[in-house]
Amino acid sequence: MNLAAPPARGPVGDALNQAGLLLAFAVRTTAAAGRVVARRRLSWRELLEQTWFLAAVTTTPAVLVTIPLGVVVALNVGSLAGQLGAEGYGGAVVAFVIVAQAAPLICALMISGVGGSAMCADLGARTIREEVDALEVMGIPAVERFVVPRVLAAVLVSTALACLVMAVGIGASFTFQVAVLGDSPGSFLGSLTEFSRLEDFLVAEVKAAVFGVLAALVSCFKGLTAKGGPGGVGHAVNEAVVLAFVLVFVANTVLTELYAAIVPARGAY
Amino acid sequence: MTARSLTVSPARALRPVVDGFAGLGTHATFYGRVVRHLPTAVVRYWRHVLRHVGDISFGSASLLAGGGTIGVVFAMSAVASTQIGLEGHRGLELIGLSPMTGLLSALVNTREIAPVVASIALAAKVGTGFTAQLGAMRISDEIDALETMAVPSLPFLVSTRMAAAFLSVIPLYLVGLVASYAATSLAVVHLKGLSAGTYDYWFHLLLTPSDVLFSLLKAIVFALVITLVHCAYGYYATGGPEGVGKAAGRALRTSIVAVTVLDVLLTIAFWGLRPTLPGLGA
Repeated sequence: MNLAAPPARGPVGDALNQAGLLLAFAVRTTAAAGRVVARRRLSWRELLEQTWFLAAVTTTPAVLVTIPLGVVVALNVGSLAGQLGAEGYGGAVVAFVIVAQAAPLICALMISGVGGSAMCADLGARTIREEVDALEVMGIPAVERFVVPRVLAAVLVSTALACLVMAVGIGASFTFQVAVLGDSPGSFLGSLTEFSRLEDFLVAEVKAAVFGVLAALVSCFKGLTAKGGPGGVGHAVNEAVVLAFVLVFVANTVLTELYAAIVPARGAY
Repeated sequence: MTARSLTVSPARALRPVVDGFAGLGTHATFYGRVVRHLPTAVVRYWRHVLRHVGDISFGSASLLAGGGTIGVVFAMSAVASTQIGLEGHRGLELIGLSPMTGLLSALVNTREIAPVVASIALAAKVGTGFTAQLGAMRISDEIDALETMAVPSLPFLVSTRMAAAFLSVIPLYLVGLVASYAATSLAVVHLKGLSAGTYDYWFHLLLTPSDVLFSLLKAIVFALVITLVHCAYGYYATGGPEGVGKAAGRALRTSIVAVTVLDVLLTIAFWGLRPTLPGLGA
């Protein structure tokens, strides 16, 4: 597998080179995934270990990030909506913000920032120790062995984590609004159920899955192309995290707009 | 993987807790020492501070990784705020208030989104960069070499970086804030077709200088915390090349959690439990 970048041609040329290589890597991974499934060669052990690892490292920070976020949403919405004469829409906004936007984004930040950086460090260290090359020599393709299980694990964990984040976020928002700000729990739950839809949840899950794929692909790509000593691995992790964050933010806007164009908004005024 | 015995002795069960507290203490004393050495570092190593300012703002500008920190902060703020504009318009339309979308840009962008998103961009780009640099120096014994040459490694490496982060976060954050205002207005006015006058009316009505100042304060606090956390993880990195990468991930996790928790506390401190809309006299 040749992922070495061609000689530098200035910043624009470099960026195009990298983008092309990343695209080629994505195509190769898809093909490898097809082969793995067709020949029933999926490394279940690797998949299980990666899923367990990702879930173990991302769950606690995701919950710790979600609770303050739920409080911030409740804080800003609860009183501002009241001043606009829209009391009781707190639940609707929470459904809007946490289910559709915050849950997939927090998952993406956790999977790419916490899980992806560890994946990238692991693969990067193996690459500079030439373990990956050794595997290839023994006829075990690195993409099939390393990348496919990691992408699948990221999708699994990311979709499950999104559900957890939604539950915790709505719970934190509800608790804060009712217990601290003293708003009516009935109107919160009423507008929450009136304005939230199954489609919102499903699209959030699709988003979480897409973000998982992006994060895992970028981390594996940067890890497998790491070069030069300990500094090289650190540098690869840095680039992987930045690239994954930017890609995820852009993908979020694109997916949200696609969804809004396909499914019209609902709600009684 | 080694097989684990089913019985766990209480001493072993308590081990992670004790280790966790020990780690917390190490990091806390590290932060204290970094801050204490700040004045001497700025006076003695001001050339290095300036060099780090350049590194932070424009350094290692591969275009795909965002073209320097300015590019990353600009891009992430702009994209996130486009989202605020589009979603906010959709949400307010449900209750028939879509002309007031300008209000969202003035309030939500200034108070929450811009500082948090810029800080996440900063943590990803600058923070993990610091961890990678310091971790690589620690692994290849360069930090010990500095100490051997009687250069105090902590002020020389970490305090200078903290001073540089403080200097560069102000212009960087203002770029991010402008990008978020511009992106929201672009999304609402040009994509959703709201009239520019209506948008600007609500935007200017609710945008107050004190809000912008508080928002900048938030960003500065976040940047300083991020620098401290990421430098600590890099400074104490162990375990070869892989350890450096893992330290970067752990640092990012800690700093993202710290930023969101601090965000709530600062929001309550600045605007109280029941924030008011400045322009509506309520």
